[in-house]
Amino acid sequence: MIQLFGTRATNALIKRELIRQTRQPSRIIASIATPLLIWLFLVGGFSNSIGAVAESNANIGPYTIPGMASLTVMFASIFASISLIQDRHDGVLRAALVSPAPRWSIAISKIAAGSILALLQALIVLLTLPFLGISVTPMGILGAIAALACISVALIGLGLALAWIVDSTQGFHGVMNAILMPMWLVSGAIFPVENAAGWLKAIALINPLTWTHSAMRSSLGMDTGLDPTLAWIISIAFALFGIALATFAIARSSQRKPN
Amino acid sequence: MNAIELNHITVVYQSKKTGERTALNNFSLAANNQLIALLGPNGSGKSTLLNVLAQTIAPTTGTLVAPTSRTGLSIVFQTPALDELLTVRENLKVSGALHNLTRDEIKTRTDSIAQELHITDRLDDQVRHLSGGLARRADLARALIAHPTVLLLDEPTTGLDIDARRIFWQTLHRTRKQLAMTVLIATHITDEAEHADRVVMIRDGQSIKDESPTDLKASLGRRIIRINTANDADTTAASAWLTEQAIEHITCDHLIIGRDADPALAANCPVESAAITIAPPTLEDAYTYYAQASFSAETLGANS
Repeated sequence: MIQLFGTRATNALIKRELIRQTRQPSRIIASIATPLLIWLFLVGGFSNSIGAVAESNANIGPYTIPGMASLTVMFASIFASISLIQDRHDGVLRAALVSPAPRWSIAISKIAAGSILALLQALIVLLTLPFLGISVTPMGILGAIAALACISVALIGLGLALAWIVDSTQGFHGVMNAILMPMWLVSGAIFPVENAAGWLKAIALINPLTWTHSAMRSSLGMDTGLDPTLAWIISIAFALFGIALATFAIARSSQRKPN
Repeated sequence: MNAIELNHITVVYQSKKTGERTALNNFSLAANNQLIALLGPNGSGKSTLLNVLAQTIAPTTGTLVAPTSRTGLSIVFQTPALDELLTVRENLKVSGALHNLTRDEIKTRTDSIAQELHITDRLDDQVRHLSGGLARRADLARALIAHPTVLLLDEPTTGLDIDARRIFWQTLHRTRKQLAMTVLIATHITDEAEHADRVVMIRDGQSIKDESPTDLKASLGRRIIRINTANDADTTAASAWLTEQAIEHITCDHLIIGRDADPALAANCPVESAAITIAPPTLEDAYTYYAQASFSAETLGANS
């Protein structure tokens, strides 16, 4: 019965999140447009300037598409977790917190709805691959979506934990950008990790996004130089860490000491 | 079994900047199937008390005996807790699901509550398109859809016009009887406290009076004398005069309230600039009198 209760609340909150997002189309457009514009400039304008890729004769267009998909997921995840701050300001969060619904339903619903939207947007980016001359199978796309799901779940989880303690959207954006943009850049999203300087390669290897990118690329039949099995294990662990962090942050403060 | 029961609750806020601040001080309250108005100025501890009852703040000391869980508990906050991008109906669905209601229960209750609150024709409007009064009613519907046994209201009629306030109170009274709810309403509007079965006056986190509105007013006598003065000197003179007349009174800035006053008294006041009223006491008089009396018992002693 307790499980059913939580499920009912979670479903309603997921539906709410999805309705909210569809009524703010500008956010969805921004999440997709920014990575696509970056990709266009990168491929159209800088492809000859990027030494490693140019020397290896790799086509930078298809190579960077998984990175752009993950950037789309990253932006969508930031929007999803920032909605917690909006909910707090609107009083919607208070209403949820004083209801008998379990606290984890708040975290899970945000993660689930945010991930659904992020993955739909990323799918649009991934579906450009066949038009760039890369043959992808449905299983390949599914594998890539699974890897992107790990990214979105992990990032929304991290974002929710941060949004729980940060009161302003400006502060949240600042911290998230300071953490996530460097993580994304040092993950093989645009530049292959195997050609990076030694110290940067070391950093990349402890960056979970490197492994999720590797899992995604291996699903799409691209060689990454990293063990695919290990990439999947780290990707799933990253996602579970995000869920645990968000649920812990929200559940822990369900009844706070006065401060 | 009381629906609300607090025993000797103290809540102390800790702040690195301002140090300790006691929001509730040894506060006790018990109620069942009553409408209780929590009357006090801003910062007196009303919202903290509601938070303790909602179990979002743990008391520093004392015991919360009831409610023991959030099941059967709803809150209306100072500002509507509605998602502005959702319609009223969608908001009610979310609230119902948070209280574990089935789809059919939500639908039935939505229809009846909307009818009760006169918002049926606005159920499918997004909340952002509603006026402040309508949003307030929709927020009350959000709280009532759970059919709570305990309803906590934190200054819920702020910003409502006269009609909206009347509908709000009518609905609250009707629903309270139907659901046998215990309602605790935090307010600083004395007119609203008149609706209550009991008025708990709170000041500096302490309960200073807990009586029915009628008893509170009657406790000041059949008539009170209200003297408004223009300056401190006149206040002192008027106060001294009331002391000579053996009238118990309090002074609050340039207002003096004396209890059990004779109607003939007004003609004898030596302070010419004073505006004097002798009338049956209102709840506002009682509130001013007891709040001021508790604020400065020494001043009261010196003046009376």
